[in-house]
Amino acid sequence: MFERFTTEARQAVTQAQEHARRLHHLEVGTEHLLLGLLGQPDTLSGRTLNGHGLTLERAEAELLRALPGPDPRGGDLDADALETIGIDLAAVREKVEATFGPGALDREPGRDHRGTLVSGRHIRVGKGAKKALELSLREALALKSKDIRDGHILLGVLREAEGLGARIIGVAGIDIPTLRTELERRLRPDPKLPG
Amino acid sequence: MNETAKLAGDAGSRDPGIGLRAVRALRVLVERLEALQVENARSLGWSWQEIATLLGVTRQAVHKKYAGGRGLTRREK
Repeated sequence: MFERFTTEARQAVTQAQEHARRLHHLEVGTEHLLLGLLGQPDTLSGRTLNGHGLTLERAEAELLRALPGPDPRGGDLDADALETIGIDLAAVREKVEATFGPGALDREPGRDHRGTLVSGRHIRVGKGAKKALELSLREALALKSKDIRDGHILLGVLREAEGLGARIIGVAGIDIPTLRTELERRLRPDPKLPG
Repeated sequence: MNETAKLAGDAGSRDPGIGLRAVRALRVLVERLEALQVENARSLGWSWQEIATLLGVTRQAVHKKYAGGRGLTRREK
């Protein structure tokens, strides 16, 4: 589905994955998409959000505040049980992460769309973020855009109203209908429009 | 030392409740490590046969487990 994404839109998704990985979260959510958009202050979405007073730092602070409790590091990995047979999970994790990156051991392996088993090195796009990305495609169609741009992703995040991404925007005091209208206006087809 | 570990130390792991739980935890750990290593080997161009040999299993076993459900029709090296 990413063929029609612009460079900035792809970048937002890549950065979202990086944020989720860095924060040791198990999957990519709309909140990470939001961080990915904010990480590019020169794009339409980045500029618009910044203009409404939402910065990357602020969004991350809200994200960490909103997540219920600490992220359950390790998932099903039973550190206590491993300790009974002399295995120090923290030491194993340290070695594995040095090679495969943060959280590589904490995420359960899963299957991709072809049925291939993928390791915990990859961070999966969660249900909400998937939905938001699908909605961004619909937003692009509705706005008669051939490409899916970062602004469409932001509209998708807003549409996924239950998602943490939209909630963070709301908590930051931004009126979502206003933001939506502004984005739609600036995303209308006009080749001279920057962003 | 946490409570479980203390208990295990006292009981010398004769308690199946502790021993079995440890086995299960180890299996979860092994599955995750294996997925990371197999994927890494594939990305470095290793064949299923080479991976299988080092894991001590058959090529079919490792291919079936990692290459997905359509393994019967797909002939990947």
